[in-house]
Amino acid sequence: MDYVIQQVLNALSFGAEYALIALGLAIVFSIMGLVNFAHGEVIAFGGYSMIIVATLLTANPWVLMIGVLAFCVLASVVLERVAFRTVRRADLTTGLLTAFGVSIVLQNLFLLLGSPRPMAATQFIFLDQTLTLGNIRVSSLQIYETGATIIAIGLLMLFLRKTTLGVAMRAAALDFEMVRLCGIRANRVIAGAFAISGLLAGLACIFIMARRGSVAPHMGFDPVLTAFVACVIGGFGSLPGAVLGGFLLGITEVAVLVLLPQSYGGMAQAAVFTLVALILIWRPDGILSPALDKGDKI
Amino acid sequence: MLQIESLKVFHGPIEAVHGIDINVPEGKCVTLLGTNGAGKTSTLSSITGTARATGTIRLDGEDISRLSIEERCKLGIALSPEGRRIFANLTVYDNLIMGGATRRDKKQLTADIAAWFVQFPVLGERSSQRAGTLSGGEQQMLAIARALVSNPRILLLDEPSLGLAPQITAKIFEIIRDLKTLGMTILLVEQNASAAIEVSDYVYVLNTGTISSHGDASKFGDGTKLVDELTGVHR
Amino acid sequence: MNWSLNKSQRDGLIGSAVLSLIILALVGAYYIWGESYQARILYATFVNLLVVVGLQVFMGNANITSFSHSAFMGIAAYVAAICVTPAAMKAISLPLAPWGLNAFELSPIVSALLALGITGVLGLLTGLFIARLTGVGVTIVSIAILVIVHSIFLHRTDIFKGNQAFFGIPKIFDLPHITILVIVAIFVARLFRESALGVQLRACADDEVGARAMGVNVYRIRLIAWVVGTLFFATAGIAYAFFLGTISARPFYFNFVFLTVAMLILGGLRSVTGAVFGTLLITIGLEIVRWLETGPTLLSIKLPQMLGLSGLLLGVVIVAVMAFLPNGIMGNSEIEEVLKRKT
Repeated sequence: MDYVIQQVLNALSFGAEYALIALGLAIVFSIMGLVNFAHGEVIAFGGYSMIIVATLLTANPWVLMIGVLAFCVLASVVLERVAFRTVRRADLTTGLLTAFGVSIVLQNLFLLLGSPRPMAATQFIFLDQTLTLGNIRVSSLQIYETGATIIAIGLLMLFLRKTTLGVAMRAAALDFEMVRLCGIRANRVIAGAFAISGLLAGLACIFIMARRGSVAPHMGFDPVLTAFVACVIGGFGSLPGAVLGGFLLGITEVAVLVLLPQSYGGMAQAAVFTLVALILIWRPDGILSPALDKGDKI
Repeated sequence: MLQIESLKVFHGPIEAVHGIDINVPEGKCVTLLGTNGAGKTSTLSSITGTARATGTIRLDGEDISRLSIEERCKLGIALSPEGRRIFANLTVYDNLIMGGATRRDKKQLTADIAAWFVQFPVLGERSSQRAGTLSGGEQQMLAIARALVSNPRILLLDEPSLGLAPQITAKIFEIIRDLKTLGMTILLVEQNASAAIEVSDYVYVLNTGTISSHGDASKFGDGTKLVDELTGVHR
Repeated sequence: MNWSLNKSQRDGLIGSAVLSLIILALVGAYYIWGESYQARILYATFVNLLVVVGLQVFMGNANITSFSHSAFMGIAAYVAAICVTPAAMKAISLPLAPWGLNAFELSPIVSALLALGITGVLGLLTGLFIARLTGVGVTIVSIAILVIVHSIFLHRTDIFKGNQAFFGIPKIFDLPHITILVIVAIFVARLFRESALGVQLRACADDEVGARAMGVNVYRIRLIAWVVGTLFFATAGIAYAFFLGTISARPFYFNFVFLTVAMLILGGLRSVTGAVFGTLLITIGLEIVRWLETGPTLLSIKLPQMLGLSGLLLGVVIVAVMAFLPNGIMGNSEIEEVLKRKT
């Protein structure tokens, strides 16, 4: 029983992390058709900002958390302004390659200005404690992570349903030009999407840092690759799809770790990607997106 | 109110409209008639700013041809586009919220939306339904209502009767007539010549990118002669 | 079968010949003026060139981005290396290998053919799925292939040694061999581009529905292009293993993918000439930057060591090309067209 609950929590917290990052990818994709692979570097930047704030200002973890969120939002919005605005109308592949380019640039900037080796930033580690509930021992971080993700998803849903900008974002996913024809500035919608994406990246960053306790130039790449997969599984551009995909991946990863013998631990990623390839071949547009006929005039 | 001079519209390298002049006086309904590919929608796109164009477009004497799509909308140009382009994934109500997104007076906006729901009861009944589930005619009403909640100075209607059954078309034209009596300035683009001529004050006939004739609506009679001329039918 | 060539195919031969002359001139310049350490750089450039020209075959003609090439290259490199390395050497380098992998050795030619065959079959199997997908679906599945293959390399350390070096591969190839391979590759890629298949594939890239309506079997030609491309990557992998003497899993992952994709898009992915020029330009640029990275003394000023500069440059090239030169340097034109226009 103990073991089952631990593994369920494991799956939930993995899934929550992927869902957070996947949502950040999906919200940008749904509006401007960009697969933002530089999202991982926004997360890494959040980690570096911890070191900056901690050295210059204060190491108070609560201040640092706000700092991380703020810096991630800033980084995300600046990236849009500097790098992605020029390819706003370009096709998917151009956007994807640009995003990879930006991701490489940032990784190497971290390498150049920071250090190729991981730098310690342990202020959030206190989030990770072992809690004893009755006779079950669980990690507090996993509970925080799952809880915070659910709250974030709820707030995001409220924002997208109740505010004009949120409604405009949903409308823009369908017909951006028509949104502009309604007088809503394109830059505002896109900047809003990137800001939300950055906020989600910041949240993910806090939990990743609480687990790792150190920041490295390439730390964002693998989580975003997995989150990208989550988006693909759920149906790219679909926000519920991103969440579903994220949790599905978390469950799959834990299931692979539990079911396969210990020595196959390294194969979890391979298993996950095989799953993706199969899902794509079965439903090329993902699980939660309706089938589209080629040659449709859209 | 809206004056267009020597307007040329381009689609990529192709010139779709070759220098036309159009004048829409305040409170009047002006119609652009023409067959497919005559350049009607291109003309409207140049007014809203979605197509590349040269020439001057004046709204109340002020040249707006350099402004962005969003700025033109804020100055009071509202479009009910060809193919309706309602936001199918949003509710009917949210579609109208989008229409009124530029307005500052949010309280008045909610009241206006309620008023439009009285005007268009079908929309009121379906206010929390996803707009994609509406019928074609209802979607067209929604597209018109969405354009109207922004309190525009001029309403651009692009083929509101496209793909609708005759009774529904009649209803749409009834709405246009009502709007006219309310004093709305309208630029209507149509292929349905007889119905359009009936509601409008002035008519421009667009033929492969140039204006082939224009004049008071009365000059065109019931439009049958014009349709024969445009389609090359000889009776 | 009709073997006479049409105009664009004859032009293709001329263009390939011009590109081959450039390659030969580079090799000649090395033999006259070069220093011995530059042979390694030139060899590496030519391996990259094989990959980039191979990328052009599928990615360029079909206009679909794929990221799995370094996986196929890695597979071929490992197969060739495992086959060709003497059993005595493998007893040391792969003591735990299963299925008697460390108890046999084959001649270089058989090893290379086996590597080509195995990679080709894997290409065919993956191609059966890839060819059914379009656009970004291909990109995603290709990423999946890359990650899966890399995971296997890392996981089966008994066969692949993971991130440690698999050593003891005899040095079989040298500069002349790869020069010939590169020239053959340029001709093959160019003739493929101008063949009926290539033209159909490019037509699909421009308008898939239209091409299908004209009776083009999109699925079949995508599959063929994919497998042909795979064979190029396999050749590059074999050449890599046969020269370096040691291989490890690390080079066959994302970094190499980005490097080669950047080369292709800088040159312009729609032409073979673009693939060649892009490769040469980025290689030269990176060599200069790598030298800067080590912190050299320039005009009697000691520059600091700047790790990451080459990666930075690569990223900037990708972003800048995508933003300002989306069709690359060459766009849709080949070298002989450019030369004719000039004269």
